[in-house]
Amino acid sequence: MATEGATVHAIDLTVNGVAHSTTVPARRLLVHFIRETLGLRGTHIGCDTGNCGACSVICDGQLIKSCMMLAVQADGCEIETIESLGEGPDGLDPIQEAFKEHHGLQCGYCTPGIVLNAKTLLAENPHPSEAEIRRALKGNICRCTGYVNIIRSIEAAAGAQGA
Amino acid sequence: MSTPPGETTFYPEVEQSDRLGVWSGKSVPRKEDKRLLKGQGAFVDDLWMHRQGHVHFVRSPHAHARIVSIDVSRAEALPGVYATLTGEEVGELQQPFFQMAPEPAGLMKDYCMAVGKARYMGEPVVAVLAESAELARDAAALVEVVYEPLEVVVDGIATIEPQAPVLHEEIGSNVAWHGVYDYGDVDWALENADHVVRIDRLHFHRFSSTPLETTGALVNWDPGTGVVEFRSNNQMPMFAAMFIGPAIGLGIDHMQFSSQDIGGGFGIKITSYTYLTALALLSRKAGRPVKWSESRWEHLAASAHGNERTFLDIEVPVMSDGTILGFKVRAFDDAGAYLRYEPLGAVIWAQVVPGNYRFKHVRVDYTETLTNKCPVGPNRGYSRLQHLWLIERIVDIVAKELNFDRVALRALNYVQPEEFPYETPNGCIYDSGDYPAMLEQVLELIDYEGALKRKLESAGSGKRIGIGIGSTLDSGTNNFGQSRIINSALPFSGNGEAAVVRLDLYGEITVTIGTSPQGQGHETTAAQVTADILGCSPDLVHVAAGYNKAANTYVGFSGTYASQFAVTGLGAVMGAAEQLRGEIVKVGACMLGAEESDIELADGFVRLAANPEAAIPFIGIAATVFANVAELPGELADSVTLNCRYVYRPPFTVPDHETKRGKLTLTYASQVHAAVVEVDDETGQVTILAYAAVDECGRKVNPKIVEGQVHGATGHGIGAALYESFEYDADGQLLNSTFADYHAATSLDVPHIATGEIECPSPFTPNGAKGMGEGGGAPLSTIASAIEDALPEGAHIVFDSHNNSERVYDLLRSAALGGPRGVEVISR
Amino acid sequence: MLLAATEYVRPASLEEALTALRANTGARVLAGGQTLINVLKHRAASVDLLVDVSRLAELRFIDVAADGSAVIGAATTYAELERSAELRGAQPLIGEVAAGTVDRQVRVRGTIGGNACFADPSSNYPPLLVALEASMEIAGESGTRSVPASEFFLGLYRTAVGPGELLRAITLPALDGAGVGYRSLQIAADSWALARAVAWVRTAAGSPRTIEAVRVVLGCVAGAPVRAGATEELLAGGPASEQAVSAAAALAGEGLQPPSDVHASSSYRREMTAVMAKRALLDAIGGAS
Repeated sequence: MATEGATVHAIDLTVNGVAHSTTVPARRLLVHFIRETLGLRGTHIGCDTGNCGACSVICDGQLIKSCMMLAVQADGCEIETIESLGEGPDGLDPIQEAFKEHHGLQCGYCTPGIVLNAKTLLAENPHPSEAEIRRALKGNICRCTGYVNIIRSIEAAAGAQGA
Repeated sequence: MSTPPGETTFYPEVEQSDRLGVWSGKSVPRKEDKRLLKGQGAFVDDLWMHRQGHVHFVRSPHAHARIVSIDVSRAEALPGVYATLTGEEVGELQQPFFQMAPEPAGLMKDYCMAVGKARYMGEPVVAVLAESAELARDAAALVEVVYEPLEVVVDGIATIEPQAPVLHEEIGSNVAWHGVYDYGDVDWALENADHVVRIDRLHFHRFSSTPLETTGALVNWDPGTGVVEFRSNNQMPMFAAMFIGPAIGLGIDHMQFSSQDIGGGFGIKITSYTYLTALALLSRKAGRPVKWSESRWEHLAASAHGNERTFLDIEVPVMSDGTILGFKVRAFDDAGAYLRYEPLGAVIWAQVVPGNYRFKHVRVDYTETLTNKCPVGPNRGYSRLQHLWLIERIVDIVAKELNFDRVALRALNYVQPEEFPYETPNGCIYDSGDYPAMLEQVLELIDYEGALKRKLESAGSGKRIGIGIGSTLDSGTNNFGQSRIINSALPFSGNGEAAVVRLDLYGEITVTIGTSPQGQGHETTAAQVTADILGCSPDLVHVAAGYNKAANTYVGFSGTYASQFAVTGLGAVMGAAEQLRGEIVKVGACMLGAEESDIELADGFVRLAANPEAAIPFIGIAATVFANVAELPGELADSVTLNCRYVYRPPFTVPDHETKRGKLTLTYASQVHAAVVEVDDETGQVTILAYAAVDECGRKVNPKIVEGQVHGATGHGIGAALYESFEYDADGQLLNSTFADYHAATSLDVPHIATGEIECPSPFTPNGAKGMGEGGGAPLSTIASAIEDALPEGAHIVFDSHNNSERVYDLLRSAALGGPRGVEVISR
Repeated sequence: MLLAATEYVRPASLEEALTALRANTGARVLAGGQTLINVLKHRAASVDLLVDVSRLAELRFIDVAADGSAVIGAATTYAELERSAELRGAQPLIGEVAAGTVDRQVRVRGTIGGNACFADPSSNYPPLLVALEASMEIAGESGTRSVPASEFFLGLYRTAVGPGELLRAITLPALDGAGVGYRSLQIAADSWALARAVAWVRTAAGSPRTIEAVRVVLGCVAGAPVRAGATEELLAGGPASEQAVSAAAALAGEGLQPPSDVHASSSYRREMTAVMAKRALLDAIGGAS
């Protein structure tokens, strides 16, 4: 961009299993890189202070807020966004199925971040208590559901994973 | 049943469709979910148009200031900046927005950006369009605006004093509307009651539902066709069109609106028509599509807030048996700097004049005022929330002061189940309900007896237990004729929604509706009722996602707001589906050589009831009508199109401007909530130990979707009661304009919500359903009730709808400090 | 939300990081970014160069010695602190405070050094580090210098880290049987603190037990953590009783002028400081052996 002024930095990263080699200006946030540069629109922006969690993605196996990380800091990282779940354009993975069955979403804007939160939570803690689920969800704001059905969906997904 | 002298006409009882049996009433999983779960939703920021520019608004840092000069030259000189638009230009390019207020407030000149003067912190002053969002932001920093700060007024009552600075010179004062609503004879009641309870002041605070997706739009004014395309997340697009059109000199037919997925609306995305207007003007000037995504601080400071209302000098006449005769109050509603949907709020509350109760004598002296704050919009529960909170506070305070049990007092004063349909003092008709049963159920859910024990046991432990109750109404499907109570010259009345249900060329069932859903599951519930009427699975019904003016059908009130979809939207879908059913049966009967009464529809087939083997698939019906036209029998050619449009119109008449009486809403869903809280005696912190909500909304089309709305409205209410409040300082600076400081309730703040339900079908709707979704704000009164219950003897009443730990701390200490408690009782 | 143009470098070593910081007065250390990126989003500070130290092993470690003392690298994340069983045994509050920080996404990236160096009145580590008498190891051109925590926090957003320097590590002395209490009053769960008190107590056996040594450090009341001197004086050498603690804690807020803001008034903050001090002291006494 003519107006950037700043230099650009080479980064290599994997997003949803696909390797990318490109350059980014230092100021580009990871969430904008994901949405605008890679065209992956499932990761959302809901605030400007890192409070809402709508931008949550998995980075090297951990849940992070992609609006609180520079794209250049993702160099060498493995990123998974919501688009990595479920087979093909129509497949839902078990967590997504549980959300559908238990009405764990309404407007859907917080949903990608919440589903990824559930995925990383259940990977670390396959049978979380309600209190543990609430704790885990603290960084993801939902304005539609009052959280009740989100928790039910995650409990169901945990149950479906087997005893 | 209470009927005043003379005729009371209720709405006509509507014959309920007997076809809604298989899918309606079931918690069918949502069609919307697959795309939303997979991140395939199309929210407005996901959209993109070739050659688009990105917009950043320069906004006033001052709450009230004259704009002395604007210099955009440095911004425009930056390579990649396409255009700017200033208020000066807007003043020339735009007619002021239509005002619903009568004069003098109706003389207000409101534009899409500040013209000559900024009247609230964050008001847009200049728009900058550039090739990237970053560049627009960088260029905006180079715009130089010189302001001359003016005196600021933020107090919604002091603003009408003569010495307060006037926001709109053309009005001459900061009064947006004033009127007195007087029903029954409250003076007689006050003179003859056994007790009068006087409450000095109650205050309903300013907050917002803050949808997670902020406002945004992609707007293109096409120079070739002269059509402006608005791809936005506005949730009431035809209302927006009615304001935008005259402002920029465009016919409605030259405006196109569409949205697919909207990340929450809650009423806050109704007044964005001002931004859409600015974007349209900018697009025309720049000759490009313009894209705008509001940041969160802009949303909190400059989209819309909920109405803030102060109630003064409340007087409540009560008989010694506990019958509350009514009340009188002076209400002041602070609408912020502009009237964007106001002053409708000045009458909307009158849908629920007595709340859930049989009060007969009510006087409300209502003033709506203007201040240097963000303009208000119809936030979830619009205008009823505030009034219903007032009523529940009155009931609790009367109970406490006169030593009545709060449960018994409610049960005594509630409208009783046998009294429905019930006419309220101003002529509204409550269709159905059973508040006593709901109260009983919610107390069971909360283990009321156990909580009472816990409360006794907690004495002296430093943790005070309080139990709270809150009842509320969610009045739905409103009669826009109530706007004439505010301004008799307004051309609105009634309500309506439109739907088309048709067979497509190969017999596919498709539905389009005039609504703009933001998570309420319209694709699913519309498919359920259509499936019932056409005798097939909802999987065979394709409901167009979102709203599209070009493809969908609409009427003047189309949109998704005000708790009405189950009635108006589905009413329209049902009407259209019935028409289509009739046509399919007609064609099928003809093709099968049978009488129409011999025909049944099942699984996408038309067949003989007596011989199901004789069946024609819908594709055959469609082929006959669309492709094999010459073989279509004559009488069918004239009457069958398989494209059925139906407008559902509730049976409203125009309310009376003089007496301020009328039938203002068609349905009355209700909720009763209860909570057990623990208050830390040393800090004032409140922890919710248990929470329950019982709802009643007539026949449920999809119970899980309904329950989800109850959860969500409860979450909003709890957030507002304990955590969320917009605070302005004396200079009109909004002190909490980010999610760091405006604490939207998280999963650790909203407790588990136990739910219960009863069903009292509405006799006035085609499906027995009642609109619901706004909720009615029961948590606000429930939590105030619970906190008050936990306070020591002699404490001040809970006077505010927002109680953070400091306020609770002050209330706890107020008992020891002595002094006025905010309430007094005069007994005969 | 959109950052201003800036430069970025990710040095391969602490030495390189220090060189970059020295070369550019507009340079800032970027660790987890959970505070700095917000600052940049709101263009509240102008930063010419971000020096990313988040991956430097020299700054990211937890060393617990046999005696219970510990050295923690400044770029160690909250999640790493929370997870460390070793640290939990020797210095339980460090991991506990980490576990209650904001949310799990922030904990993956945010660091103890970032928290300490931000030095906001409501930052959760500064008062704890002062109470524990931590040493802050500051690396610069001429090597590392050690600054006691009590001299590290200078005021609102100001620490002893000078130009061309960065915080390398935090050294914690062994608890050695002392009890530590940490109490916050927050606007909501795991959210902004309005009042915070940390108590460190060593008791002597006896009946009743007595307080041999005590430190009470207050957060949220001023730019830097404040020692509640009057409280400490009243308690030292006296009984470790609830009565004594109540009386002493009541003095904790005296003479302080905490800010008034959208969340709370100055007087409420002052009164809550005393309540938190009392509760922290009781916790500390309970935990002391």
